[in-house]
Amino acid sequence: MTLPSLYSRIMRRNLRRTRFKIGVALTTIIVILSIIAPLIAPYPSEGYGYVPANASERKLLPPSTQFPFGTDALGRDLFSRVLTGTRTAVIQAVSVILISLLVGMIIGVCAAYFKGLIEVTLNYFTELFMAVPSIVIALFLRLTIGQGLHVVIISLVIAWWAWYSRIAYVYAKSIVELEYVTLAKLSGLSALKIIPRHVIRNIFQALTVQAISDLGSALLEASAINFMGLGLPPGSPEWGVILYEAITERGIEAFLFSPWLVVFPGLFIFMTTLGFSLIADPLREDLDPRLRRRWKLWF
Amino acid sequence: MVLAIQAKNLKIGYMDEEEQITWATRGVDLSVEEGESFCIVGESGCGKSTLASAIAGVLPPHALTMGKLYIFNQLVINESERNYNGIRGKVVSLIPQNPGTSLNPFLTIGDHFYYILRDVKGLSKSDSIKIAQEYLSKVGLGKDVLEKYPHKLSGGMQQRVLIAIALASEVKIIVADEPTSSIDANLRAQILNLLSKLVKEFKVTLLLVTHDLASASKICDRIAVMYAGKVIETGLTSSIISKPRHPYTRMLLDSVPLLGSKKSLNPLPGEPPSLVEDFTWCSFRDRCPFRIEQCSVEPPLIPVEDEPHLVRCWRFREVS
Amino acid sequence: MPVSLNYIFKRTMLSILVILGVIVFSYLLLMLTPGDPAVKWAGNPRGPGAVKAIELARVELGLDKPLYVQIANFIYNFLTGNLGLSIAYKIPVSQVVISGFTATLELILFTYLFSIPLGVWLGLYSAIKRGSRIDSFIQSLSIVLASTPTFWLGSLILLASNTFTGFLPYGRVSSKLVLSTGFTPITGFYLLDSLIQGNIPVFIDALVRIIPPALAISVYPIGVLARVTRTLIAEALLEDYVRAAVAWGIKRETIIRQFVLRSIIPPVIQISGLSFVYSLVDAMVVETVVFGREGLGSILLDSLHKADFRVTLALAVYLTAFYIIVNTLVDIVQATIDPRIRL
Repeated sequence: MTLPSLYSRIMRRNLRRTRFKIGVALTTIIVILSIIAPLIAPYPSEGYGYVPANASERKLLPPSTQFPFGTDALGRDLFSRVLTGTRTAVIQAVSVILISLLVGMIIGVCAAYFKGLIEVTLNYFTELFMAVPSIVIALFLRLTIGQGLHVVIISLVIAWWAWYSRIAYVYAKSIVELEYVTLAKLSGLSALKIIPRHVIRNIFQALTVQAISDLGSALLEASAINFMGLGLPPGSPEWGVILYEAITERGIEAFLFSPWLVVFPGLFIFMTTLGFSLIADPLREDLDPRLRRRWKLWF
Repeated sequence: MVLAIQAKNLKIGYMDEEEQITWATRGVDLSVEEGESFCIVGESGCGKSTLASAIAGVLPPHALTMGKLYIFNQLVINESERNYNGIRGKVVSLIPQNPGTSLNPFLTIGDHFYYILRDVKGLSKSDSIKIAQEYLSKVGLGKDVLEKYPHKLSGGMQQRVLIAIALASEVKIIVADEPTSSIDANLRAQILNLLSKLVKEFKVTLLLVTHDLASASKICDRIAVMYAGKVIETGLTSSIISKPRHPYTRMLLDSVPLLGSKKSLNPLPGEPPSLVEDFTWCSFRDRCPFRIEQCSVEPPLIPVEDEPHLVRCWRFREVS
Repeated sequence: MPVSLNYIFKRTMLSILVILGVIVFSYLLLMLTPGDPAVKWAGNPRGPGAVKAIELARVELGLDKPLYVQIANFIYNFLTGNLGLSIAYKIPVSQVVISGFTATLELILFTYLFSIPLGVWLGLYSAIKRGSRIDSFIQSLSIVLASTPTFWLGSLILLASNTFTGFLPYGRVSSKLVLSTGFTPITGFYLLDSLIQGNIPVFIDALVRIIPPALAISVYPIGVLARVTRTLIAEALLEDYVRAAVAWGIKRETIIRQFVLRSIIPPVIQISGLSFVYSLVDAMVVETVVFGREGLGSILLDSLHKADFRVTLALAVYLTAFYIIVNTLVDIVQATIDPRIRL
């Protein structure tokens, strides 16, 4: 199945559902914001963490018409910071999932296709990396290569690819054993042709749905890592970092006096994750054709 | 004579996601008398399994119904209303199609009996185990089976367990939906003979659904042949086998080997019609060697002379 | 079940191999990253004692011996928990890690004690009421719950508690109360310890302080389990054996309890296990940063800020080992209770 036809089928079937519509709307808003945020942010440079010249006059101001989300401890406009953070959020979630999906899919499919030692070795590494929590990897990277967006992305990819590898392996295993793959092998087709043509094409839909439904979790974990201070440096336009500055650096009492510092960035994380999840949920049900039937407790 | 099952113009359809309805049965008229062994024969997709589900009370929730179905004069399907209170397990029981998947893998055979007998008859655990042993010995199984999980049994043993389960709650009707389809061929006759012997012994009405006319003819008193969602011929087994009046029944007979006869086998040509759209012509018209102008109107079930034999064909005299 | 022994053995062997792999992997990290490993192992010491400390670390790591001896030595030290003194806490590293584990584990176990039943119940209820308003409400709720950032929710709970009750559930237990009642931890699970000692005031205090972070962490397992349970029940209702059970006259409650719920137990255990390890990260973040509780999270941040490399490494390895052990246990339990799996 080609991507456009899959896309149009998904849209046709699900656009009747309210939850799916809300998810599409939320995600669209977030994606648009991520593109135009620097243009519409009232104080673009503050969005990127620069402290304004008159910072001392406007520290920790509550929300007002001038500063819709209030200002932070360094006098920066929180609205600009949160808005600018949208782009980081989308980049983090999408790149983590895309890279993990790609790496995991290739390794999982190879493990299923090439039997013997390759299968055993690849499965061992899959098992090994499935066991490593992302926060541990972030910690290691923080110790060794420092801070930055790449640290967040790499640590999440290291922790996540194995899940796709496992799923791809399970699906591909059942396909590799089908007769037409055997026939293709016997007819002398090379693995480079069989794998994309027969194997990947057949597991692609299931993996894509899994990937879409993981976007939200990827964002949650990325912001948790940033919130712990393990990822992006302070001042970065990222929601977890903004929360880190509000709570971790200044202690919980400070937050009690200026709650807007916590409420708004968290709300954006929540809305973005929710948007991704609302899109993914009906897709998952679509994957299982038996569940599409209108089952219910009928007896 | 008391009627065990009576269907009047029973239509059952399934709606898919695009709100399109496929009618599995398009108006079935059927009466089964108490105590007889009745057989519904047809190829896959003719609606026989749907009919069996309707009688056993296990139509899926997305099924639509029209018409009426009576079980011992109780109206269980009244147009779109379905009410099986006091029927399932008490009057009708089911021997399902796949013995392998029809037993709960998490329960032992003994637990199956216990939950059924407790819920249907209010029996205690020890009483139900006693009854279970009794019925298991009737189907030729020892009491060691009670302790076992379903996957520890062979397919033939699972099917015997299912027969024992269906008999144990002392129902009046047993619906057997292709009971032998997933068993090795050498066991089929054995299982069918056992089933036939036991329903006679316990005076239970048997409704056997099968695609296998040969095995049906051996154990059933009467046969109904279904095609494209309708009964096209019904009558005593002997008269269906020896003098089929419908061209489809004849083709069906020609395609199966009957023991002792040295006829040549002819496979069934053609495909049954699609049941998504309604149609008014005879459903067998396009495959029928006897078709005439009149076949563009679907015939009713026509009684054949003085026999208890009905056939849905304008030219039944020529066919026989 | 003797047949499953083979599976249990294989599964355990694989896990042990994976744990060894993780230790070797972390050793390579220590060696291959920039900087002198002995300096890192000694915690980047400065001042007069620095040279001596680095020398000691060099001996501890066995850097003068061949590589395989170093690795074997390293593995041996990890398996026996003999990792020397923590630079930041001045007590053995294993003690630091264990105290963190018990604190965090108490929080997660407490959370899961109510999250699993609640999540399963929500999923079951929504499946039974399929297509109704309550079903679509529960479905929406479960998505919302699983999408909520726990550290954000934790902050909001803290804020709400402070605003409406004036009580700030900060820390694991009030230190004043500990001093006045003479409470001494035994197992490290404060709820359990206070009950064993019959120290009701401390028990109540610990309970009141554990509930807010537990609520924050619980959203993910509740949401995930509700959604998964609903799907599992949908699948179970389509099983042939449920259809047969209906035809045999088994009552609805019996079918749900003995046929449907029984069949979802193994997958529910598996999902709970997966979400348990996911919650570990959640718990580390929430307990430390938001609720100021000691635990794995606070040790992790401390070791990071004080360059206590040993604790960081030990934490990473033991955390991973814990992950693996939980997953292995879940797999084994699941395989043992599912009679269909012929191992």
